[in-house]
Amino acid sequence: MNVRYVSLETLRQLRNARSLVFTFALPVVMLLIFGGAYGAETDTTTRLPWIVVTTVQMAGYGGMMAALGQAFTIVAERALGWNRQLRVTPLSAAGYLASKVGAALAVSAIAIIIVVAVAVLVLHARLEPTHWLLAGVGLELGIIPFALLAILVGQFARLQFAQPLFMVVFFGLAILGGLWVPLQILPQWMTSVAYAVPSYWLNRLGQMGAGGPGAVLAPVLVLAAWTLALAALISWRYRRDAARA
Amino acid sequence: MPWAPTRTARDSGTMTTSAIRWTGVTKRFGAVTAVDDLTLAIEPGEVVALLGPNGAGKTTTIDLALGLGSPTTGAAELFGLPPRRAIVAGRVGAMLQGGALLPDLTVAQCVALVAAAHRRPSGVGPALERAGATGIASRRVSRLSGGETQRARFAVAIVSDPDLLVLDEPTAAMDVEARHLFWSSMRELTASGRTVVFATHYLDEADAFADRVVILQAGRVVADGTPAEVKAVVAGRTISFTTHADAPLAALPAVTSVERRGTRVTLTSADSDATLRALLATWPDARDVLVSARTMDDAFLALTSATEQEAGR
Repeated sequence: MNVRYVSLETLRQLRNARSLVFTFALPVVMLLIFGGAYGAETDTTTRLPWIVVTTVQMAGYGGMMAALGQAFTIVAERALGWNRQLRVTPLSAAGYLASKVGAALAVSAIAIIIVVAVAVLVLHARLEPTHWLLAGVGLELGIIPFALLAILVGQFARLQFAQPLFMVVFFGLAILGGLWVPLQILPQWMTSVAYAVPSYWLNRLGQMGAGGPGAVLAPVLVLAAWTLALAALISWRYRRDAARA
Repeated sequence: MPWAPTRTARDSGTMTTSAIRWTGVTKRFGAVTAVDDLTLAIEPGEVVALLGPNGAGKTTTIDLALGLGSPTTGAAELFGLPPRRAIVAGRVGAMLQGGALLPDLTVAQCVALVAAAHRRPSGVGPALERAGATGIASRRVSRLSGGETQRARFAVAIVSDPDLLVLDEPTAAMDVEARHLFWSSMRELTASGRTVVFATHYLDEADAFADRVVILQAGRVVADGTPAEVKAVVAGRTISFTTHADAPLAALPAVTSVERRGTRVTLTSADSDATLRALLATWPDARDVLVSARTMDDAFLALTSATEQEAGR
């Protein structure tokens, strides 16, 4: 593993973060709209104030989109031939993977921090600082499989099809996982679908961090399973992609 | 990865390890055979030009040597190792075709990023300096001219201080001045005994810079030797002139071939002095006489068209 490369690459993507301004802004706008609408009432399923539920949802959404946005970067870099150049360096597949996951987690952290800061400072959402921290950490860890998903999509997608593909996959994850609208409002069948979608468990993990009920093991297991499956697919693809990366 | 250290040691007949060795390498993409049973060795310290028309398999040949793809059959080795292991050891630097730098970074940042991927980089400053890219270090890659881009890529290729440099059309998109600059910084590098393999379209570059020229055609080696040896394929000189006479020119001394295009005649001669004396004595109406040495271009055309005809048969 190449620590120096991974940190340089993470820094590079952080410097690029201004290109993600809309990714950061959208969850904040939605938070301001929905967070204001629900007010101080308590959600019956999570027994958390609605404002906290909405904050976790939007932080999860923002963090997920920031991570998934790395797919664009990867597709563009592949099209340029940057990956070809990297293949004539000692950088291993694992090192490349780590650099991309590191970059995705760094930009996700920004998205999460922005949403929580707006909730606390503007909407005066109240929660124990430790619970905010745990919610943030839970979301950040839950974003790992999305970082991998971004890499996988980035490996497969061609530049000209990238945009529509990303729209379908990314918004599908947001809606099915209940990150846009609480699942209670959606039809029953969608709730069943949600259990298979990692974004649902990302949200659950965040809620549990914020002090909501439930066993942490369930989201951890589901997200770990996604992580392993995606990592396996990526390394298979990376080996196959060797010829014309 | 199918890698078999088979007959190579016996075939080479020497104890030194080749910098690059392709052993019976064939690469097919669907129905297209890009490289056809290629066996070739590049020895340490050699500066080798890889020539060939478009589609001759130069890029595929290079990619296979670097492990950017595995041969359909056969094996490629770098310093007696599977390509990937030689690359991990930092012994190889490459300027690849379609291997661009990141447009949003400065040249120095790009070199630093690649340096970080290497285990023992030689340092960003020295690499920039040796590539003649110090002056453009703080420029964004997206703002570089064609020649500047190539110098930046060259800096990236040498940042690991490699024993072997592989350059796929390094001077493409360069103007004449940039090409001169490039080859002069390259000379300094090779003076210290590095192995260089470069693919090029510019025959004069191969002639001036390489110790050895390998010409590929349809994925096979059609010529392999020093520039002088390759040029010797089209030995002698040409004498061209204008004449209205329908003379039996092939009968002149030392003439090996006659080519007519309207009133312009081009003779190929093994002894241009003798041919010229006889020509002017016998056919005084010959005007605008031009005697020239055969060039690398002539050799290249002769070699590649000969195999084309063979393939067409």
